[in-house]
Amino acid sequence: MKRGNILLLIVLMLFVALPQLITVKYYLHLSILALIWVIMAQGQNLIQGYTGYVSIVQAGFMGIGAYSSALMSTNLGLPVSATIILAPLVTALFALVAGYPSLRVKGHYFAIVTLAFNMVIFIVLLNLTDLTNGEAGLSGIPKPGNGRGATIDFYDRQVYYYFVLTIAVVMTALAAVIVRSRVGQILLAIRQNEDLVASVGVAAWRYKLFAFVVSAMFAGLAGALYAHYQSFINPEIFSVAQSLDAILAVIIGGSGTLTGPVIGAFFVVFLPEYLRFADSFRLILYGLILVLATIFMPRGIVGLAHDLKTRFGSAR
Amino acid sequence: MNTDVLEVDGLCKSFGGVKALRDLSFNMRRGEVLGLIGPNGSGKSTTVNMLSGAMPASSGEIRLNGTRIETLSQWDRVGLGLTRTYQTASVFPEFTVRQHVTLGCEGRRGVGPLAQAFRLRRDPADDSRIKERVAKALELTGLVDQADHIVGTLSTAQQRFLMIATALTSDPCVILLDEPAAGMISHERETLSGMIGRIRDAGISVLVIEHHMALIMEVCDRIVVLNFGAPIAQGTPREIRENRAVIDAYLGEAA
Repeated sequence: MKRGNILLLIVLMLFVALPQLITVKYYLHLSILALIWVIMAQGQNLIQGYTGYVSIVQAGFMGIGAYSSALMSTNLGLPVSATIILAPLVTALFALVAGYPSLRVKGHYFAIVTLAFNMVIFIVLLNLTDLTNGEAGLSGIPKPGNGRGATIDFYDRQVYYYFVLTIAVVMTALAAVIVRSRVGQILLAIRQNEDLVASVGVAAWRYKLFAFVVSAMFAGLAGALYAHYQSFINPEIFSVAQSLDAILAVIIGGSGTLTGPVIGAFFVVFLPEYLRFADSFRLILYGLILVLATIFMPRGIVGLAHDLKTRFGSAR
Repeated sequence: MNTDVLEVDGLCKSFGGVKALRDLSFNMRRGEVLGLIGPNGSGKSTTVNMLSGAMPASSGEIRLNGTRIETLSQWDRVGLGLTRTYQTASVFPEFTVRQHVTLGCEGRRGVGPLAQAFRLRRDPADDSRIKERVAKALELTGLVDQADHIVGTLSTAQQRFLMIATALTSDPCVILLDEPAAGMISHERETLSGMIGRIRDAGISVLVIEHHMALIMEVCDRIVVLNFGAPIAQGTPREIRENRAVIDAYLGEAA
């Protein structure tokens, strides 16, 4: 067995054992949120880390996934297991429509166009009160399974943890399959030299759109899992600020790597909690940490670990 | 039988009021090396950009193996067998040489990447064909020993050879080389001229833009000369060297 695989197995076992190790219930809650963010960050990484296009609409897509899954289960009475699968598809459809014009522009312009999309989604969620109940949000969103007290009781936080863990692992594996395939090579090629991609006979826009739509599906799925976990959603959670967190998760963890988003997701969920002591200075501190992180570890925690390993390795 | 691989007929390009290229016509035969020369600003790169599809032509026809291609996208033209390199070394710096060259096959694969990514379809014959093509391109460009090097660490000349190798894996019938010798020293130019000869021997037609006259005169079967966006002469290297108009416009008396 290769060393990398052993490490992967250990990490997986750690995740499986985590609920037994955690004594404070609140940390289990945060871990669930972090796992949802792993899915979110893996999607963001596809478009940002591998394709080199910074998208600032992922939280908006998360919102579309969350609201569509919530509404389909409450208004249409569809089983939650179905809506969680349908929600990413609905999100993908939106991304397809949004992505086609957005991806005609390059670099920073793409970031700005997606930012605008997030704002539009936010405003629609806020004002389409008949459907979304506006600022007050939707509450009483059902959990998957057969309700409280069933054999597998999704109201039990541990159960929901394992549920989300499974999906996070599957989605990470899916991201791995994509980036290690020929598609991944083309995405990396787009990141390095987009103009040259056409001259090797590849229509770059198809792959950019693919990466964008897939990243949206990841976000939509994360949104659905979030909605059914919290049982309550309002537009606030899906604002631009959350999109920035997704970007940060990728940068801090390690852009263009598969482990980076996992680390980054836990980082963006747990760090603000640990900064609570600073009260209103929290955001300033948060910003400072981020500035320092991008200056001193531009390739994220994964890149830093890699550097340390090679330095340590050569010293021996 | 029509043996012309590439036919260019009345090609024009204007940028606003400026006519960058006027009424350029020429043909390329299979396995022929055609030089395109002229002073700076005479429309050489514009021509290559229009042929490759990087820039739309204002008017005129381009036929590849008899098919009109002037409205097709650049990637579709690669798929039909027309490929190019760039004036400045333009590469994917983070890939290994092998990955880079393999990417050149994308336009000519049997199975689409999306289908293959999700294991929907797989064509083993396709894979082995591609390995073979990559190996051949690496050998022809002398990059076999560098196959596992990172592209960004290569010398400029090696990056230029890499562009050629990548273009070759798309299995082209026409390859356009935009100043392939720029920044090369003499022995690298010799390697390049040998390379162009071997590409021609493989039955591929080569269009070369170059300012280095010794190289052009050595490798080309025929030469087209542009001046101020208009063709002023066409012929064998010997005819071009003795052409009065070409001497006045570009070569000068010493040449």
